[in-house]
Amino acid sequence: MAAGADVSRDIAEEETLRAEVYRLLGWLLRGPPDAAGLARVAGLGGDDGELGRGIAALAAAARTVTPEKVNEEYHALFIGVPRGEIMPYGSYYLTGFVYERPLADLRSDMGRLGIARADDVHEPEDHIAALCEMMAGLIVGTFGAPADLAAQRRFFDAHIGPWAERFFADLEAAPSAAFYMPVGAIGKAFMRIEAQAFAMAA
Amino acid sequence: MKEKATIASPGRRDFFRKAGLGVGLVGVAAATGGRAEAAEVAGEKAGENAGGYRKTEHVKRFYASARF
Repeated sequence: MAAGADVSRDIAEEETLRAEVYRLLGWLLRGPPDAAGLARVAGLGGDDGELGRGIAALAAAARTVTPEKVNEEYHALFIGVPRGEIMPYGSYYLTGFVYERPLADLRSDMGRLGIARADDVHEPEDHIAALCEMMAGLIVGTFGAPADLAAQRRFFDAHIGPWAERFFADLEAAPSAAFYMPVGAIGKAFMRIEAQAFAMAA
Repeated sequence: MKEKATIASPGRRDFFRKAGLGVGLVGVAAATGGRAEAAEVAGEKAGENAGGYRKTEHVKRFYASARF
């Protein structure tokens, strides 16, 4: 593919929407949104299905929460001392420990796909936010040509499918979750949609 | 030559639309405040908990801008 080529014409509308949902989840899970971010989230809208209701609930939450509160909530959920209520790492969900084989496998695949962690990042790459960003990038072609469905499915099945739905369900039920409760609901619904769609094949 | 990224099969398209990934989904692209490569600047928002990624050098020349 030529440098600078616009790949958007080659990507179907619904696939772009998938990428946008992944990107939204990655952005929310990477850190608490600031006031401007909350204002944008407040403008989200969805239909009457499970995913849409989660989106609407998130928008409603964004209208009432303060940046300070959502920052506190994020820290209680994911950071804490010595740890948050939730450990958002593939290795943790799959083995009970961080920095385990799932991370090594992910790094291997990232190398093949031309994805590298930024120099100033200290979190392991199997953080759910990073994985969501990687899926978004694979779909739209951030790392090269857009990944075809088979390649997306391989990545999803290897690094996300086995644990992410459980993670989002745990997030939805976490004691401190308020703004992040609908984030959990959205993620849970979306992981089910993704898994079902991949199972439908091309 | 690599074929199109995804073949928009009617079954897959209809499934997504019924699931809510359609016209009713409003504001998602704009919510993050950036484009697909937003992950490269994610670090500035999350600080010590950032987990961003970047393209490796050899694929940067194939960098594609997303339309959102």
